[in-house]
Amino acid sequence: MLSINNLYAGYGKVEVLHGISLDVPKGKVVTLIGSNGAGKTTTMRAICGMIKPQSGAVSLNGKNVAGMDSHRIARAGLAHSPEGRRVFSTMSVRDNLTLGAFPRFTGARPKGNIKADLERALELFPRLKERQDQLAGTLSGGEQQMLAMARALMMNPDVILLDEPSMGLAPILVEEVFRIIQRLKADGITMLLVEQFAAAALNVADYGYVMENGRISVHGAPEKLKNDPAVNEAYLGGANKH
Amino acid sequence: MDIFLQLTFSGIALGMIYAVIAFGYQLTFATSGTLNFGQGEALMLGALVGLSLAGGVMGGPYINYWLMIPLVMLFGALQGVVVERIGVRPSIKTKNEFGWIMSTIALAIIFKNVAENIWGKDDLTFPSPVSSTPFQIFGANVQIMQVIVVLGALAMMLAVELFNRKSIYGKAVVATANDSDAAGLMGINTGQVVTFSYALSSATAAFAGVLVAPLTLTGATMGTALGLKAFAVAIIGGLTSGVGAIVGGLILGIAETLTGYYISTGYKEVPGLLLLLLVLAIKPSGLFGKTTIKKV
Repeated sequence: MLSINNLYAGYGKVEVLHGISLDVPKGKVVTLIGSNGAGKTTTMRAICGMIKPQSGAVSLNGKNVAGMDSHRIARAGLAHSPEGRRVFSTMSVRDNLTLGAFPRFTGARPKGNIKADLERALELFPRLKERQDQLAGTLSGGEQQMLAMARALMMNPDVILLDEPSMGLAPILVEEVFRIIQRLKADGITMLLVEQFAAAALNVADYGYVMENGRISVHGAPEKLKNDPAVNEAYLGGANKH
Repeated sequence: MDIFLQLTFSGIALGMIYAVIAFGYQLTFATSGTLNFGQGEALMLGALVGLSLAGGVMGGPYINYWLMIPLVMLFGALQGVVVERIGVRPSIKTKNEFGWIMSTIALAIIFKNVAENIWGKDDLTFPSPVSSTPFQIFGANVQIMQVIVVLGALAMMLAVELFNRKSIYGKAVVATANDSDAAGLMGINTGQVVTFSYALSSATAAFAGVLVAPLTLTGATMGTALGLKAFAVAIIGGLTSGVGAIVGGLILGIAETLTGYYISTGYKEVPGLLLLLLVLAIKPSGLFGKTTIKKV
């Protein structure tokens, strides 16, 4: 589905990613964990076209999209719930969701039933349903996070990138966000999840990659990573929680 | 009192022209953070092209005033695309913060020179599409064209506002104005949105040109002062507020006509510009400008 091969990227002359390779098979949840500054968000940005990779391939449905503008990559089937939410703050929750389906309105992606999908997204996130006519800028951080996720779903994408969906959220909301990810997984949605909450991410994922200084240091099934002493020490707080 | 009312009505008509041009500045500022400093020249070209189609200067008239308006707006839109492609896009691409300022000013001067060569340096008379015999409101003389200016300006702004709120393409424009990167992630071609906003902005100015031309003289130099004063209006009202453009326009328009009569025509521009300085000192985001609150 989504396959990244030997990706190099950075900002200006500073190279941040030194050859990243990872695979997100159809219907699977893959997580990318690692400490602050390891290059997780940069990887996401290089995949979705917010920054242009210096070299390497990003293959989406067998088509190399590396270096394309972000709107083209989106139309090719990749949705991204970016770091910092990036909701359209002067627009209503409903309008934000509608815009998530933009390529479906213009015919760049199969139309399907946009209205029904919008109602389904609101059912999935009851807090958004209550606030559907409110301006997105007036939502709390947790609600904005849910809006960013729901907006990404509205594209009916082939793959969703979720960048730190738990960032800055109260513990109870973190749990809710992970419950929703679990539910999307059950619906067969393909996801690449970047998380600092490594334990929770590995619990929901089918496969995990650990990133260190712009490189993948270890990867494997979640159980294997949880039992890896180095991973356990660095990212799971030394104790095998959960 | 009659004089005062009459001056106020003239001020309102003039102010609505300022408002429409200021609105044009806002359109491009919202989507790209850039402005077309040749907005006044877009107005001037619109008026002269309109005069050539509906007046006698080029062997016409070829069509009547009302049918000419959509053609002039189409011309304005194309002119806006040229400005964006040549003057603005290179700056945006290279992330040059100030390049677009000089290049839109340069294009404005070129447009003025071209206009002087085609239509001459003398001011021309734009035939009024309606009777120029004034009618009376509370004893003050009002021209039908002044009423058309006010209604036309309002209709134009309302149409854009409706488009932005109701259509998916309008929403894409608002989304780009909110957060261009995030809009790209939604599959919105933000480069195209910026081009579109320039087209719309210049079409608006061209429309303002054919509205104001029957009330004033038409010529290559007509746009410069209007464009500059409308820029002041955009700053006074706030670069992000349509209501601000209207209120700012009316304040400046009325202040000008009243000062011109009661004090001296030599000073008519001073009160509005003093207000500009005052706003910049006290509330730099403009009377109606919002400082957006972003949650992190």
